[in-house]
Amino acid sequence: MATTPVRTTPGTPAETVEEGFRRLAAAWHRDTDYLSSMEDAASHPAYQEIIRLGPEVVPLLLRDLEANHTHWFAALKAITGAWPAPASAAGNIPKMAEAWLRWAKDNGYQW
Amino acid sequence: MVTPLEEAFPGLAKGGYRVTSPRDDDYNCIAWAAGETRAWWWPGRDAEREYWPPGVPRERMRGAFVAAFASLGYAACEGEGPEAGYEKIALFADADGRPTHAARQLPSGRWTSKLGVAEDIEHDLHDLEGVIYGAVVLVMKRAARTAADGGA
Repeated sequence: MATTPVRTTPGTPAETVEEGFRRLAAAWHRDTDYLSSMEDAASHPAYQEIIRLGPEVVPLLLRDLEANHTHWFAALKAITGAWPAPASAAGNIPKMAEAWLRWAKDNGYQW
Repeated sequence: MVTPLEEAFPGLAKGGYRVTSPRDDDYNCIAWAAGETRAWWWPGRDAEREYWPPGVPRERMRGAFVAAFASLGYAACEGEGPEAGYEKIALFADADGRPTHAARQLPSGRWTSKLGVAEDIEHDLHDLEGVIYGAVVLVMKRAARTAADGGA
């Protein structure tokens, strides 16, 4: 579990990466769940802030991707620089998720 | 009590809708209108993420969506009421004319929509109009598909 503080507000406890991720993901879901454009969804400030959490958030993204097929593809690409899904899988969310999870295992990620 | 769905789409608040599927991140409104639940259809600039029919312009313009549904046999039509022997889809767009959503007509004359990654619902067509999806800008129809040609 990630434990690095990501936000320190005077008078409040520091927020871990996981807490920050959950807070930002909830805001992102609230504002974008009804949209069809992945580009619009990924440009949401909360999504961009999740990307800025950096490599420590990758296991959390992978866990959610595996469990819910949540569209963390753009974030994973932005953080890792990889794109393991074949062009033939474009739009096929289960196949894209499978490709990312296989790539993550092959590259030593644990989630 | 107003549900999150009704908060997002106030037209639904009068109660004339029902949720017909659980949330599903694997397909979206355009796919659902096209009769597909195994892909996410959208003409995003990043072609590695979203499916769009081959040969159709990959741009968020009304013409590209018309061409996508034309590739499935749909043509623009007048009237959103049900017609025997035809099935219809409706395209929504925002105030700038950018497509936002599509719905598909059911044999009953009501409409079915997949709401982004959220649920499918059955609804009255204009009840989804508003801030998020804008308004209905076009209706298209095609001859109803039979089991023999891959339809329901």
